[in-house]
Amino acid sequence: MNRQDLRRLVEIGFAVALVAVLSNIRVYKLPQGGSITAGSLVPIFYIALRWGGKAGLLAGVLAGAVNYILEPFFVHPVQVLLDYPVAFGLLGVAGFFQRSPVIGIIVGGLARFLAHFVSGVVFFAAYAPEGTSPAIYSAVYNGSYMLPEVLISIVLTLLVVRAMERIRPVQPA
Amino acid sequence: MELTRYVSIGQYLPRDSVVHRLDPRTKIGVTTLLMVVIFVIADFTGYGLLAASLVGLFLLAQIPLGYAARGLRPILFLLLLTFVLNLFFSGLREGTPLVRLGPLVITSEALSRAAFISLRLVLLVVATSLFTYTTSPMALTDGMERLLRPFRRIGVPGHELAMMMSIALRFIPTLLEETERIMKAQMARGAEFQRGNLLRRARAMLPILVPLFVSAFRRADELALAMEARAYRGGEGRTRMKELAFAARDAVAWIVSVFATAVLLASRWLGLP
Repeated sequence: MNRQDLRRLVEIGFAVALVAVLSNIRVYKLPQGGSITAGSLVPIFYIALRWGGKAGLLAGVLAGAVNYILEPFFVHPVQVLLDYPVAFGLLGVAGFFQRSPVIGIIVGGLARFLAHFVSGVVFFAAYAPEGTSPAIYSAVYNGSYMLPEVLISIVLTLLVVRAMERIRPVQPA
Repeated sequence: MELTRYVSIGQYLPRDSVVHRLDPRTKIGVTTLLMVVIFVIADFTGYGLLAASLVGLFLLAQIPLGYAARGLRPILFLLLLTFVLNLFFSGLREGTPLVRLGPLVITSEALSRAAFISLRLVLLVVATSLFTYTTSPMALTDGMERLLRPFRRIGVPGHELAMMMSIALRFIPTLLEETERIMKAQMARGAEFQRGNLLRRARAMLPILVPLFVSAFRRADELALAMEARAYRGGEGRTRMKELAFAARDAVAWIVSVFATAVLLASRWLGLP
């Protein structure tokens, strides 16, 4: 493990802690559950854009795991995998678009939305009777908080990344 | 805004019980088996037995049963929705109609199905909450690292994942305190967080985010330097102060749960009574 790897490892650890801290600050609470946080996804995007997609995926998966430890919501084994490690991990996909951060964040946000969407469908397949239409409900519910969260993340990530580059200009090789 | 009261991380309830002392790998395994069992059982008798054993486990773990109920609070809405959907729209027209509300009919079949599905959800949540109540995040991380070790060959960085997780868990309380300090400092300068539309509130977070990021990643730099100075080289050949080891109680837990699962599977698919 060289110096660069160690730095990446430690930074991912801190980014995961930041996600947990920031998701405790709720800016807006939606009536049907789900809430919009104070840019709790920004640390994942920061890591992804700084260190690339693989580091972003790692940071996301771990943030999902920590999120589960803090506030477990377990109704189906597949749902847990999709809602926590997979959903958060996919945010890290943004790191594969280091040159165009906005597109990266949108793709990452969309990927996370898809994971929650599928998990909603899985839940309904397991617990709701046949004939109900889970797809629309799941899309509306998950879209209602993901859309604003992603918009906020774009704005905040760009601002934070710009500020951080000035203060901490050392770019990883 | 007080944030530090969240400092106790997660749902872990420290007690001195056999269940707490079980190896985390055992607890992960047994919880997985429990989940299999919950989805395999197809009648109320089975769920009755399972509920009774879960109550037994809670008592053994010295976790008050009120905590089992508390774990259900976040899913209350889903539970209700599941029950109502199954009650009215399951398409089970057989059985005696019990109540008629306009076009909606509740049959005895539908009622028993709604109760069964709701019970499945409740048992699943209670079983997994027993795991989070009795396993500290650190023990969970250790267990994860060991369970991921065989996957090293296909490129899963088990040790690194566990190390990052430990760093995150260790610094969550520190960074929470830091956040609170920054928020108070900015409020003293006249910052407003709770007013305006969504975008305005989001932008108001910037004077918190930037100092928080700066301070967090400065700490990260220091920690990386400290680890390097102590010659940290990753998981290869690293020794630990506390090695995970299976004890007799782990053997008992494994034997009992594997045996119970096997009996259940056999009775389900081989048609044994």
